[in-house]
Amino acid sequence: MWVVIVIGVVILLAVVFIYNSLIAKKNQVKNVFGTIDALLKKRYDLLPNLIATVKGYMQHEKNLLREITEMRAKAVSGRMSDDEQVELDNKLSKMLGGIMVAVENYPDLKANENFMHLQRTMNELEEQISAARRAYNAAVTNYNNAVEMFPTNLAASMMGYKTKKVFEISPEQRENVDADKIFEN
Amino acid sequence: MKTLEDFTNFYKTALLADLKALERQRRKIISKLTCVIFTILCILGVCLLVLRANSRVAPPFLFIPVLLCIITGAVICYFMTRGYVARFKSLVIQRIVSFIDENLNYDADECIDKSTFMLSKIFTKKPNIYKGDDLVWGKTGATEIKFSEIKAEHESGSGKNRRRYTIFKGLFFIGDFNKHFTCETVVLPDTAEKLFGHFGQKLQSINIFRGELIKLEDPEFESYFVVYGDDQIQARYILSMSLMERIVEFRKKTGRKIYLSFVGSKVFVAVSYTKSLFEPRIFRTLLDFESIREYFEDLQLAIGIVDDLNLNTRIWSKQ
Repeated sequence: MWVVIVIGVVILLAVVFIYNSLIAKKNQVKNVFGTIDALLKKRYDLLPNLIATVKGYMQHEKNLLREITEMRAKAVSGRMSDDEQVELDNKLSKMLGGIMVAVENYPDLKANENFMHLQRTMNELEEQISAARRAYNAAVTNYNNAVEMFPTNLAASMMGYKTKKVFEISPEQRENVDADKIFEN
Repeated sequence: MKTLEDFTNFYKTALLADLKALERQRRKIISKLTCVIFTILCILGVCLLVLRANSRVAPPFLFIPVLLCIITGAVICYFMTRGYVARFKSLVIQRIVSFIDENLNYDADECIDKSTFMLSKIFTKKPNIYKGDDLVWGKTGATEIKFSEIKAEHESGSGKNRRRYTIFKGLFFIGDFNKHFTCETVVLPDTAEKLFGHFGQKLQSINIFRGELIKLEDPEFESYFVVYGDDQIQARYILSMSLMERIVEFRKKTGRKIYLSFVGSKVFVAVSYTKSLFEPRIFRTLLDFESIREYFEDLQLAIGIVDDLNLNTRIWSKQ
């Protein structure tokens, strides 16, 4: 009699534990995604300042700068799905990379204190975004492990949890930044 | 960073003359020590014979003169070599430190204080026996550093049950990190994962004394270390892919157990050593280049942590 009760309690505790851990993992994924969002917004906020600083110096990159301004406006408008947002953000990263490479041709700009401060801030922000993406992938992997591995997969299928996708960059973005190609546009 | 060739030149031009003088002092100390030990042994022999002849004295009491002789011998050794050690450190260690980087200062008797040692959060047990020496501090490149030799032990119980174990013995290094951060992250040598694989990781994650377990992407890094921290994103901001690679390279270079932590925008590195660092060996000749090279390599390793971890690259908001 007692054995049955003890076994019952143990199973109940296990179920509670598994249920709660799945919820915690799902929320962690949401949490990190939220932080990425916040960091990206921070980057969008910096862009006008960057454009204003380099506009006076960079005579040859006017098209690029205009494109960046347009992209930013689109991103901030909030009229995009998550996937589109990610796609836009990746494109923006590449263009910003291009600007930083082009700066090498303008020693005056390079020495400009405002620009140097901006450059440091942008570097830091890029590193933080990259760290957040890595944390997102770790959270998703952790969640996917729970959804797919035994015995938590039983609970996951009952709760309707499906695996999520990790952050991937599309093949074209995996190419290294080619400054000439960017300025051809 | 100075190469071994630079050091060989420095050794020949600057150190050798002083080493010869020190060597003469060392030889004198050895001969004096030999005399003293011989005398003590003779006295001991005489004492023992006298006591044995006197049959009323039980055998256990024979240990008293032996013990007294050992203690006297040790005390005499200590006082005789103290001057030599101080001279060695100021003539050799101090000069090697200045040679590697003239912006660095050296103090043979100081060490990193206990509160800073605990601040690193690497070791959670508070040591009740704490000593160290050979403090080096200053700014190399753009990075402020401070390191010393530390021996931290914990003694518990009293009388017969007194047990002493070593919390940490070796080099303790503090450097100004090149990024701002507010979280606390600790990188510890990994034993569980090596032994138990995935299940080991599960065990590590329920360690309540440390913060959250942070699983990183570099498999080699994960095989050597386990990371705990209180912020998943900031920990990855600190431990970039390139820093993880560098830490693994450094671990392979030393071949020893190393611990790191990132607290208060500083990086703490603890390298375990079984030998005593920067101490002259009384019974080894100073004129052998290999023995002096060891001091150079130990110092170079410590100061080189700045380059190994790329701390002088200041392209983020911290300058």
